[in-house]
Amino acid sequence: MLFIDLLVQGLIQGSSYALIAVGLTLVYGLLRILHVAHAGLFTLGAYIAVVVTNTLGSFWLAAVIAPPIVGLAGMLVYRLLYEPILDQPPFVPLIASIGLFICMEEGFRLIFGPYGNSFDEAPFSASLSFGPVYMQGVEAATVVIAFVLLGALAVLAARTRLGTAWRASVTDPQMAQSFGIDIVKVRYLNFFIGSALAAVAGVLVALLNNFVEPTLGSVPSYKMLAIIVLGGLGNVKGTLVAALALGVLESFGTIYAGHLIDRDAIAFLFLIIVLMVRPQGFFGKA
Amino acid sequence: MNFKTFLAFAAVSAIALTGSAWAESVKIGFNAPLTGFAAADGKSALTGAELAVEQANAEGGINGKTIELVVYDDGAKPDQAVPAAKKLIGQDGVKIGISGSYSGSTRAAAQVFQDASVPYISAYAIHPDITRSGKYVFRTSFMGEVQGRAGAKLAGEMLGAKKVVLITLQNDFGKSLAAGFKSKAADFGVSVVNEYQYSIKDRQFGPIVSKVRADNPDAIYASGYFFTAGPLVKQLRARGVKAPIIGQEGYDSDKFIDIAGPAAEGVIITTSLDRDSKKPETMNFIKSFEAKAGFGADMVAASAHTAVKVAVAAMRKAGTDDPAAIRDAIAATRNLAVSTGSISFNGLGEVTKAVQNQVVKGGKWRHHSVIDDPALLAPPSE
Amino acid sequence: MGAYELSLLTLIGINVMLALSLNLITGFCGQISLGHAAFYGVGAYTGAMLTTSGQPFLLALVVAALFAAVAGVIVGLASLRVREDFLAITTMGVGFLFLGVVRQQEWLGGELGISQIPETGLGDGGFIMLVVGATALVFAASVYLKRTWMGFAFDSIADDEDTARTVGIDVARYKLTAFAFGTAIAGIAGCLYAHYARIIVPDAFGFTVSITILAMVVVGGIGSTIGVTIAAVVLTLMPELFRFVNDYKLLLYGGLLLLTMRYSPQGFAGLVRQAAAKARSKSEATP
Repeated sequence: MLFIDLLVQGLIQGSSYALIAVGLTLVYGLLRILHVAHAGLFTLGAYIAVVVTNTLGSFWLAAVIAPPIVGLAGMLVYRLLYEPILDQPPFVPLIASIGLFICMEEGFRLIFGPYGNSFDEAPFSASLSFGPVYMQGVEAATVVIAFVLLGALAVLAARTRLGTAWRASVTDPQMAQSFGIDIVKVRYLNFFIGSALAAVAGVLVALLNNFVEPTLGSVPSYKMLAIIVLGGLGNVKGTLVAALALGVLESFGTIYAGHLIDRDAIAFLFLIIVLMVRPQGFFGKA
Repeated sequence: MNFKTFLAFAAVSAIALTGSAWAESVKIGFNAPLTGFAAADGKSALTGAELAVEQANAEGGINGKTIELVVYDDGAKPDQAVPAAKKLIGQDGVKIGISGSYSGSTRAAAQVFQDASVPYISAYAIHPDITRSGKYVFRTSFMGEVQGRAGAKLAGEMLGAKKVVLITLQNDFGKSLAAGFKSKAADFGVSVVNEYQYSIKDRQFGPIVSKVRADNPDAIYASGYFFTAGPLVKQLRARGVKAPIIGQEGYDSDKFIDIAGPAAEGVIITTSLDRDSKKPETMNFIKSFEAKAGFGADMVAASAHTAVKVAVAAMRKAGTDDPAAIRDAIAATRNLAVSTGSISFNGLGEVTKAVQNQVVKGGKWRHHSVIDDPALLAPPSE
Repeated sequence: MGAYELSLLTLIGINVMLALSLNLITGFCGQISLGHAAFYGVGAYTGAMLTTSGQPFLLALVVAALFAAVAGVIVGLASLRVREDFLAITTMGVGFLFLGVVRQQEWLGGELGISQIPETGLGDGGFIMLVVGATALVFAASVYLKRTWMGFAFDSIADDEDTARTVGIDVARYKLTAFAFGTAIAGIAGCLYAHYARIIVPDAFGFTVSITILAMVVVGGIGSTIGVTIAAVVLTLMPELFRFVNDYKLLLYGGLLLLTMRYSPQGFAGLVRQAAAKARSKSEATP
């Protein structure tokens, strides 16, 4: 039974990883940028959830406005930071992104204080049990929301004109442009959707921990990079598989290998092994 | 603000304003992590230290001189602590240094102070080698090992737990606590059935909670800081783990209760600040800190406050700026009453004082019990 | 100079060495590494273990370089398998793996690290001379290397690996050489750091440190020895210069990275080149 419990916990963690990582892999697929500051947008989502709930008294309001606000912030990051340096080698936007991420973390600390914030009244503290599996309501919600949103995204990409335009821009931007696709619009949309999904993850993590702090994004900032690389950089399906696989691996690893190496090292050992066997990740193009 | 504190503040600001103009001042150095991951503790430590300086200046400073606190950020990093310490000694000419920082940076700075023969007091860093830097270095808080031993006594003797699971924070603090706990567990009839480790960056403990639930222990000894322990305790309780949870001074902040919410009820910690103390020093500190900071006192603030008070008392007694005389005065400290209890040092410069156990009751830290067992709590003396 | 300035000088020397050593791998040879702090750590731990067990400091320095280089070649082998962004993340993984393993080794002090590292026996002055001398040597070697055949081979690999291979350059050998040299220097820097701080803890060699080193290289202007050196000096001094605004210094640091990349993607070296070009065109315009 413990086995099932650990598996479920791994999938919960993996779902939360997936929500954050998808935005990152979308950005990479389109622009070849390792968008580290994405983790700062995730933190912003979490802060909005807590601060808005505490000041205006409605968690639902916070949960509804967080994704679009963060989505707009993501578009702004693209417009002000990345667009002017798109033709630079990849480490230029990488360092710029790291600089922005540091500024965001420090900004959160200066604005909201170093101690972090909690909900005055933590919403949804109910727990559920399915036979031997006993989980928090928010954990169940995380899995459901991740699957619904990412499923919707998959449908959007596969079945709509917009999705076709997006996929065309990823495969061959010049060709797409010559077919009349507005590449700039696709990019804005890309940042909006990716950042909004990260905000959803931020809201869920804020609920789960009942705690948001300036450095909330520090682990996602690098672990998400591992996930999108495992998934084959820019490959959405691969990213989902990698996120869930890593969640499960960490879940078992924490319990059975935690005395040998820490959680981060487990994740990266897995990454290195996979890349040595498949240098282009799980689903990457060779 | 009542009239008395108003007067005190007025006096402080009057001295602060005019002080530089005519009175001689004496400088106390202070390094703490004001930026980076440990910024919350740095801020608490700084506020506690500032409070101690304000109070001491209101009492007339040190032998007529105003105290000036020179503060540098070290980001909790050894490579920033070294230049900070050298700057404090060489450029600012501080007569004594206080660490409001973590172990690595404190140990690195301690060596610099020792080499320059300037006294240095660690407020809450727990690395065992800090005081081994030399005879100019002191510590006013418990070493991790000592507190871990107290935890074993609390679990075995006071709570009657037989099977205990350890959830250990993977850093110097958590590891030393676990080592201390394990060293004395058998003496109190406790068997450690399992130990799980987590990183200081972890906030989600799903797998550990699952396993602890399966282990079904009599008690859980979980090391951590309020920002890890808050989510951990919340998640343990939310998933039906009912065993008593024992924590340590790292939990000791109202933020822990804010985060864990109702789940915090009944959590017991070993620490050095007694919220229900009837001692005037402690009561005064808790009240003045809240007035100054706008939130409740925590262990880190009390520890920094204590370290500054020890320094000031020694400097007053020494009656001179000579570092060697100040060092001797610190070493000679006996039963000095401060916010975290009654302070004395052993030959190595380690503090000996009682452990205060606190429990969360009605959403507040309250007195639980005291462990005052000199043999159990004896720090190493060399 | 007082003790404070001298300690800053030591820190600058160590950081310049680190930045130049990464510049050799990333700037000259084009292999992006996000895990350089691991080799810095290998050097620090090797050096500290040796001197605390009574070995002479200079021997420790040599062995530290050697061990770091061996580790570097092993990781360099990965660069033969994965490329570009995949390599960047793989090296990042190496950094986390190094830290994760070291943390759990009781014989390396575990989380408490190694403290009570002895003095070098060179005295304060001698130690600083050594650091400054080593830094100057690394700088000179860096300038010289760029002009040799090897420098040319590195350049062509950085430019386009496949083309380099077709013109007969032994890509694998040169990549491994770059990793060996670069990581050996990082190892030396690590050993010097251990005897500067006289305590090492695992976190001193973490991901943020790798990023800090890479930031020095990129902000300086990737591949430019002089630019990277200046950036290493500036970025080391920055937190010190802004000590008076403790609360904002990290914000300023992040802002500097962001603004440099946004407005001068070629870093400091690019700024200098632009200024020089402007001056030239001006002097040509006014005969």
